[in-house]
Amino acid sequence: MHELFFLPEWPPRPGGVAWIAVMLVLAVAAGEAASRWLRLPRIIGYVGAGVALGPQGVGFVDRAALGELRLFLDVALGIVLYELGSRVDLAWLRRNPWLAATSLAESAFAFGAVLALLLVLEVAAPVAAVVAAIAAGTSPAVVTTIARELRARGQVTDRLLLLTALDSVYVFLAVAMLYAWVGLEYRGDWMAMALHPAYLIAGSLALAAAGAALVAVARRMLPPRSDADVVIALAAIVLTVAFADALDLPVVLALLALGALARSFDRDRAVPPATFGPVEALAVVVLFAFTGAMLEFQVAPLAAVAGLGIVAARALGKAIGVFAFARPSGLALRKASLLAVALTPMSGLALVMAEQAAVAYPELAPGLALTLLAAIAILEIMGPLATRFALSRAGEARAQ
Amino acid sequence: MLEFKPSAPLTLGVELEMQIVDRLDWDLTRGASDLLALVARRPHPGDIKPEITESMIEVSTGIHRAHGTLVTELRAIRDVLVAAADRLNLGICGGGTHPFQHWSDRQIFDTPRFRYVSELYGYLAKQFTVFGQHIHVGCADGDEALRQLHALGRFIPHFIALSAASPYSQGADTSFDSSRLNAVFAFPLSGRAPFLLSWREFDAYFERMRGYGIVESMKDFYWDIRPKPEYGTIEIRVCDTPLTVERAAALAAYAQMLCRWLAAERPFPLTEDLYLVYNYNRFQACRFGLAGNVIDPATRSERPIRDDILATLEALAPHAAGLDARDAHRRVLAWASEGASDARWLRELYQESHSLPELVRRQVERFRGA
Repeated sequence: MHELFFLPEWPPRPGGVAWIAVMLVLAVAAGEAASRWLRLPRIIGYVGAGVALGPQGVGFVDRAALGELRLFLDVALGIVLYELGSRVDLAWLRRNPWLAATSLAESAFAFGAVLALLLVLEVAAPVAAVVAAIAAGTSPAVVTTIARELRARGQVTDRLLLLTALDSVYVFLAVAMLYAWVGLEYRGDWMAMALHPAYLIAGSLALAAAGAALVAVARRMLPPRSDADVVIALAAIVLTVAFADALDLPVVLALLALGALARSFDRDRAVPPATFGPVEALAVVVLFAFTGAMLEFQVAPLAAVAGLGIVAARALGKAIGVFAFARPSGLALRKASLLAVALTPMSGLALVMAEQAAVAYPELAPGLALTLLAAIAILEIMGPLATRFALSRAGEARAQ
Repeated sequence: MLEFKPSAPLTLGVELEMQIVDRLDWDLTRGASDLLALVARRPHPGDIKPEITESMIEVSTGIHRAHGTLVTELRAIRDVLVAAADRLNLGICGGGTHPFQHWSDRQIFDTPRFRYVSELYGYLAKQFTVFGQHIHVGCADGDEALRQLHALGRFIPHFIALSAASPYSQGADTSFDSSRLNAVFAFPLSGRAPFLLSWREFDAYFERMRGYGIVESMKDFYWDIRPKPEYGTIEIRVCDTPLTVERAAALAAYAQMLCRWLAAERPFPLTEDLYLVYNYNRFQACRFGLAGNVIDPATRSERPIRDDILATLEALAPHAAGLDARDAHRRVLAWASEGASDARWLRELYQESHSLPELVRRQVERFRGA
């Protein structure tokens, strides 16, 4: 009898990377199936695969594993935000100030409508405010992915991307401030209360400017349109994510600004915005599959109703905001209604924020879970459909 | 019966097909219907209409007697258009082609006529995403219109070379100064009008073509110059849309001076022989612009187009004075003597930047006139 020392233990136990790969393959397969046979956006397939494999489904992926993947997810999100940032033209706000009004109004009304609903339902005020702030945002990932899948171009698409970038920023600032307020960290110190958002904004912009300068300098040393452009942009994204984390700055704002500034620093070369190609496709699959795995479906019937209420209140608020300034901002009412529909996707980021809140302020957790998670689950499926419907109806889709 | 509605001789009107581009990547974008809805809200000078694709818009002026009022109206229309485009984050520019748009990306504007054209011509209709200037000159009657039309044929290379603004197409340098006209050539009813000098004969020709079912209206002829009986004009269609409204107005004034000279002095006899050199001269103008050579059908001598223009301008000087168009005369003279065309401006800019999107950005800036 020989000692077959080289044979492994049976069954083999591959490391964590293997199940990520399995999940990605299944997600891609589900995405293709959704697109081909159900004519749904691919990302709904990715989310579906995540749900099926996650704790709600067969339990292939559990919460602990999701925690390990935090950085991976942050970079995937970073890619999406960077690209959104590079597609947003802030000079437009100067040329058309009514758009800035639209942006503030759609966020504020969505916040107000959800807050009012929750207060009527007798949710505690701090919880209601946090939930309403989170609900006011639109999903950068869903919006950019659907716009790219359709190769959409036109007023509704351009405005959708701009409003999404801006409301993501408001949400992060508002939530950061609300947490500080709920945590009583301001302690009635008005100075701290004023300086906090100033730090968040100025810090993120400074960080983004440093990253964008790095990209610009590195690119100047490369031939135009080099493959290394993508590598450099990715490095800048990872650095920005890491430093934003270390400096307690809002990652979303820093990355959007990074995308926008990297583009404007590149003015003299006027190349089209960097596209990550296959890397971005990977990022999108990762993002939505893991969002699916994190979704919570086992909520009480009451919470489901409250979730539907949030969805409706949010939609109403956004619609009022968009309609209020549609005409002065130069948008026909038909397109304004399509824009309001296109803003339906609520950010998967809300999940992350809700979890962070639950950890940081355990007293908020039950209230949050009760209401917000149901709304997110509903919108994760409805959102992509609504956006696709709106952009197609506006005649802005070039690919079906 | 195709009735030619008389109009005041030597009156002018201009149509410009403009490009609508994205301000981030400078590719053609969809925006015609949004732009139209916005400018339609309040009264504005001129007429602003949709064209065959969502990335194109056509502006046209009223009827003018002189270059001065024409350029004023064109500037006013431009300002309305630019202001509306700013609100929608769109760029508006001239140029005969978009330098790097891909034809398969274009969508056809949704009206019955455009759908018909699109179905008939297939990919040609989308490849026909080119942008031209049309110049209308008023004529007293149909016979006069046909006389002017065939006499002007001799000067078609001037209009091509002076307006040429489409050196780049589908992402490459075409080596032509006006590559736009190559897209027009592909159509079966392009080229020149038949050599007929009386409206009665022309009407008979048109009825026969209609009898064959080849055309339904004058719109189906894509000739370099065609009569427009319902306006009482002849329409010069070979110009690329220039990068500035000032050049567009000066080109129209040049046509007006030519027509006044041709009508008053009849400097050469009208025979079909004029057309023997037509395609050669036209090619030279498209390919080499102001530096191309043309053969004078009367003297059989060959000379550079810019010299031919300068010689013509000399004959036109008294008519420029008579039409109050000395400013336009001076401009054309400067362009011809310096060889300054929009095509050359575009090529020189590309030598600096090596970026086609940058080229479009500068075209947009140039059109604003700022």
